Amino acid sequence: MADQQPLQAQDKLAFLLALVPYLIDRERVSVAEAARHFGVPEARIRRAVELIAVSGVPGETMQYQHGDLFDIAWDDFDQNDMIVLTNLVAIDDSPRLSAREASALIAGLQYLSALPEAADRDAIRALMAKLSRGAGGAAANVAVGQDLHDVALATIRRAMADGRGLAFEYAGPRTQGGPRRVDPLRVESIDTDWYLRAWDLDRQALRTFRLDRMSGVRVDERAAEKSIDDVVIPDTLFQQAAEDVIVTVELDSSSLPLVADFLADTADAPDGDGRVRIRLAASNGFDGVVRLVAGLPGRAVVLDPPAARAAVRDFAAAALAAD
Amino acid sequence: MPATRVPRVPAEERLFSLVLALLSTESGLTKSEILANVQGYRQRFSPGGDNASLERQFERDKDDVRELGIPLETIETPGAAGNNQTLRYRIPKGEYDLPDDVRFTPDESALLSLAAMAWREGALSADSRRGLLKVRSAGSEDDDGDSAGAGAIGVDAYAPRLRARDVAFEPLRSALDRAAAVRFDYITPGQHDARRRQVAPLALVQHGGRWMLTAHEFATDSEKNYLLSRIVGPVAQYEVGQHPAPAGAGERALAELERIWSERTARIRVAPGSDAERRLARRRDTVTDEAGVLVLHHVDPQILAEELAAFGPEVRVLEPADLRDRVTERLQALVVDHTPADDDQDGGTRG
Repeated sequence: MADQQPLQAQDKLAFLLALVPYLIDRERVSVAEAARHFGVPEARIRRAVELIAVSGVPGETMQYQHGDLFDIAWDDFDQNDMIVLTNLVAIDDSPRLSAREASALIAGLQYLSALPEAADRDAIRALMAKLSRGAGGAAANVAVGQDLHDVALATIRRAMADGRGLAFEYAGPRTQGGPRRVDPLRVESIDTDWYLRAWDLDRQALRTFRLDRMSGVRVDERAAEKSIDDVVIPDTLFQQAAEDVIVTVELDSSSLPLVADFLADTADAPDGDGRVRIRLAASNGFDGVVRLVAGLPGRAVVLDPPAARAAVRDFAAAALAAD
Repeated sequence: MPATRVPRVPAEERLFSLVLALLSTESGLTKSEILANVQGYRQRFSPGGDNASLERQFERDKDDVRELGIPLETIETPGAAGNNQTLRYRIPKGEYDLPDDVRFTPDESALLSLAAMAWREGALSADSRRGLLKVRSAGSEDDDGDSAGAGAIGVDAYAPRLRARDVAFEPLRSALDRAAAVRFDYITPGQHDARRRQVAPLALVQHGGRWMLTAHEFATDSEKNYLLSRIVGPVAQYEVGQHPAPAGAGERALAELERIWSERTARIRVAPGSDAERRLARRRDTVTDEAGVLVLHHVDPQILAEELAAFGPEVRVLEPADLRDRVTERLQALVVDHTPADDDQDGGTRG
């Protein structure tokens, strides 16, 4: 693997090839606007433009003569931070998508097709077909099934779009349901699990709610106090709290993908039998860990602490007794 | 001039110059023409000398360029077939350019930003980021550049995440890309030993949050679905290039899984007011009959058994009996694994 090109150079090439046709299309565009369009820092645009401006083809003389190179309006660039290409060579259009690129985007679209914003099935299908055409008709070989069909989502989105609060009933696994009043901030998901991150008015704190535990969701009349710009939302859905207890679990390493989002730290290396030890942060009564372990494929065993082991045993025994 | 004192041309400049040079030639350039003349190579080229390391660089660069979907092709000189020195390289412009009818509106671009965002790790993340770059490059005229449409689509309103963390995922995707057959060991639940399978992959499909491989199994001459989490050990490719998946294989695989899903049902009783009642009732396609019994759909009985075991005493499987047995077995194993043995306090690690 040592002689593999650093990924960075390949990505930079992809960026250059994408930037040139955009600059041609816009004729004159500010560095700031180009940066916004591509979602990159302005410095990256400037560096790329400087490289484009001195690049070209060997030409008939094989000497990279002036006319064989791209050129830009340097004064406009230096003084006004504006980009104007004044000489073009070799490329004037965006590159095709690779089969892998198209199939990654198509699979992402399939996943999103459950969102209210993607309700126009025909438009989504047309977009997928367009991506496939953009990759020279390549077959999409990665597909994602659609599992979300939650009516609550449309209501949540309406509240967000109108800047309104949201009211609903919410119950945890072992707690009785109760009314909640929140300002909705962001809808998040991991595969088939969907969550709302919201500012809880009564608790004055950021809270994460599972969509399938919310009921009676309705838009509140009151205006939302907090928006996505007011609250720092951690990137990970699940955070450890100071009072959490660390539980050690041994499981089949093939189950790691199912617990990856809950790990308190890095999993140990698997042993010879493909068994691996992980640590999870458990809050009140081990309930979350117990249910997680009970649902994992193969053999998942809580090793420590003993109270957590007992909790799994009691949970399973109670289920057997009920039968 | 010794090679060590050659000014370094950044890798992206060399790659960019290579693409530009190959796009601008109709008849193609030979390897030595490229090495002697193209920016980034010519600085390190020694006429008449040993250019072995530069040639290796060129081979890697070609792979990098092709990986981006750029149609870098080779043409043989008539009468000199098989001669590497006379092979000519070029990128035909007509196949490089995005077709004219593939342009993206601001709304489409915003939706694709979200689609790309769903992949946050691994190769799919890199692929979708690059794809998005090209989509943005080919934005339509009415896109004013300040993320128009973002408000309408609600890009900020979502943080979707798709995981593809199964170890077998990338090897299988690579096999699909290379039209290769694969062999791997596969464990069927309830059986102790893995069995070797030899298949031609058709598609990777995520259904119900689990990744499956739809493939043609040679031994049975039939299409089967394999859960990636049940593949043990390495995935080996063979007969590369001989097993291209037909167009639409992904959609067809998904449709087939949907058909299985719609046919396989289980009747479950849930404790009133429980988490199981709340969540299972809202699982896709679940119906509640007059007696308050939930009818659940599923693809794989073992996965459903695991899902139901996670609800413990809150659920009771009425039928099918096979599913009930799987849940019971699972619960019994949990009791055994979490009961300290008389002579062994370290109960968890016993095999």
